[in-house]
Amino acid sequence: MQEPLDAIVMRDVVKSFRKRTIRGEYTTFKSELLRWLRGKRQPKEGGLITALRGITLNIPRGKTVAIIGRNGSGKSTLLKLITGIYAPTSGHMEINGRISALLDLGAGFHPDFSGRENILINGIILGMSRAEVRERMDDIIAFSELGEFIDEPVRTYSSGMYMRLAFAVATHVDPDILIVDEILAVGDEHFSKKSMAKMTEFKKRGKTIVLVTHDLSTVERWCDEAAWIDGGYIRRVGRPSEVVAEYKQAIALAEAQSVVFTPPALTEDGGALPQVNVPGAEAPVRLSGLKLVSPSGEVAPKLTPESSVEACVDFSAQGVCEDLVFEVSLQTLEGRALYETSTRVESVPLPRELPASGRVRFVLQRLGLLAGTYVCEVTARTKGGVSRETCTFVVSSSVAERGVFRPVHHWVVEPVPVAVAPVLAGVGHP
Amino acid sequence: MIRLVRELYQYRGLLLSLVQRELKARYRGSFLGFLWTFLNPTLNMLVYSLLFTVMMRANTPHYSYFMFVGLLPWIWFSTSLGAGASAISERRDLMTKVRFPAQVLPTTVVLTNLSNYLLSLPLMLGLGLFHGQYPTWHVIAFPVVVLIQLIFTLAMTYILAAINVTFRDLQHIVGNLLTMWFFITPVLYQASTILDERVRTVVLVANPMSSLMLSYQAIFYEHRFPDPWPLAALAAFSLALLWGASILFESRREEFAESI
Repeated sequence: MQEPLDAIVMRDVVKSFRKRTIRGEYTTFKSELLRWLRGKRQPKEGGLITALRGITLNIPRGKTVAIIGRNGSGKSTLLKLITGIYAPTSGHMEINGRISALLDLGAGFHPDFSGRENILINGIILGMSRAEVRERMDDIIAFSELGEFIDEPVRTYSSGMYMRLAFAVATHVDPDILIVDEILAVGDEHFSKKSMAKMTEFKKRGKTIVLVTHDLSTVERWCDEAAWIDGGYIRRVGRPSEVVAEYKQAIALAEAQSVVFTPPALTEDGGALPQVNVPGAEAPVRLSGLKLVSPSGEVAPKLTPESSVEACVDFSAQGVCEDLVFEVSLQTLEGRALYETSTRVESVPLPRELPASGRVRFVLQRLGLLAGTYVCEVTARTKGGVSRETCTFVVSSSVAERGVFRPVHHWVVEPVPVAVAPVLAGVGHP
Repeated sequence: MIRLVRELYQYRGLLLSLVQRELKARYRGSFLGFLWTFLNPTLNMLVYSLLFTVMMRANTPHYSYFMFVGLLPWIWFSTSLGAGASAISERRDLMTKVRFPAQVLPTTVVLTNLSNYLLSLPLMLGLGLFHGQYPTWHVIAFPVVVLIQLIFTLAMTYILAAINVTFRDLQHIVGNLLTMWFFITPVLYQASTILDERVRTVVLVANPMSSLMLSYQAIFYEHRFPDPWPLAALAAFSLALLWGASILFESRREEFAESI
């Protein structure tokens, strides 16, 4: 039998909830009796709330797919459908492979039990067999870094320890398809790096990962594909940088038009964000595939402040554009500009007639940025339109400096020249 | 029903772990620990013994032993139903976050209480020895009776657990109904002491728990085999009930995660 290509296939999947269950009023015998006494025979038709209006989505095997969208747009409902906790109201769904869902950390933890006992039960709940959990017990304990606390009751744990233990169990499940709901950032710097490494290992082993998150930089940095869900439909699927950029613009536009942010599922049209003109779609010069490359040609290299690196972006141009300007901006994750320049301010000569397709390289002999996560943005600006590409990159450093950049420098410590000696001597040896 | 049972078998690891944990949890952190398994029924027994041997003078020889034989399986039945009713609706954390067959939860309750019952059997046998009642070879019928009660209890618990997801106040009513059920079941008294012929027929025929109690009493107290026909009828009825319960359960299970 041929292996199906897609791990998850969804066709026109609709999910609606009865209003009662959303408002959280339970039917009771008492309420039924009261209604009967008041002479209302027919139960009030609560109406339906449609959270997902028709999702068609293929998630390819072995890819990491992010699902983004504003609060209440149906991301979690979608995950619960994929996991099988909810059943679709209508539509077709196909899941190929063993699924493990990390919708919540520490499902079924019992406060009175030790970490070790909770690992067993939680692991089984997440889909491992008893033998599998026992086999991986030592790995899980080592990963959680709880040390001797592992035999203490979980109620004595700090919240960080609790999350670490839960995350350790969750990442040791060995599924074909991993469903993750916004739980990557657990614990301190060191632990979240470790968690990230664990997830990357999943990726390398060819597992399919479906990730819901609001951390857009993670999406851009880490996912192969992004699906934007808006107004109960999949609005766009594609390269993470493109989808994220359009999503950000739609949010900005909605804020600018002062659209009231109502809960999408309760709104008539599904609360979709306003349409944006996809930037660059009609621009005479279009950018694509921005990436950072080391001098040796390695893509997305490990960066330190001393690295030399190039930002490479491909462009395609139509005809003559005399007013073309390439801009490069290095920003913090929050969008604060750290350095901005352009071919215009530096008077870089550009050919009058661009090749139909070409490449722009922005060469940095020395990066100079301190440890942190940054955004590199390249823009091609013409009168006819603007095309923009962004990518996120991480710089790490073993030196605990502070600030933003590292100027070229060195230190000198030397004996004081004779002429100023009396002054310094007076300070140093009273 | 086959699917229901098959899923239970697939998730037996989870079931086993949950039962183990419930058993441990019950005694963890309590001073007397495991002794509570014995202490609770013993205290119950003392209360009823005081009531019926001192206050009301029942004419049953070895009364406290007689009562114990029926009281222990009744406790298994009633605590299973009482706790099983809210088994699904109270585990919101699991139901909405993890996918697993919902019947695991009520089954866990029933099996936990079954374990408790089996663990308290030595106490009953000890009390029997004290009264000079030695177990005879008729105990080979005991596992059959336990199995029938297990099926009946499971069926009842599934029904209650499924309905309680929609009608939340069911769990409060269950306790009162169980108290009433207790008194129309021959646990504290022998069925033969019901004087009114018609009432006796109703108690014995319309109450499934009666034939179970009579069977336990036959094995341990009267040292004979239980009457086969009422038991066989109850077994058939329990299977039919379990079948109905699984249909109800299957039709509701997709709503569980959304309704709780």
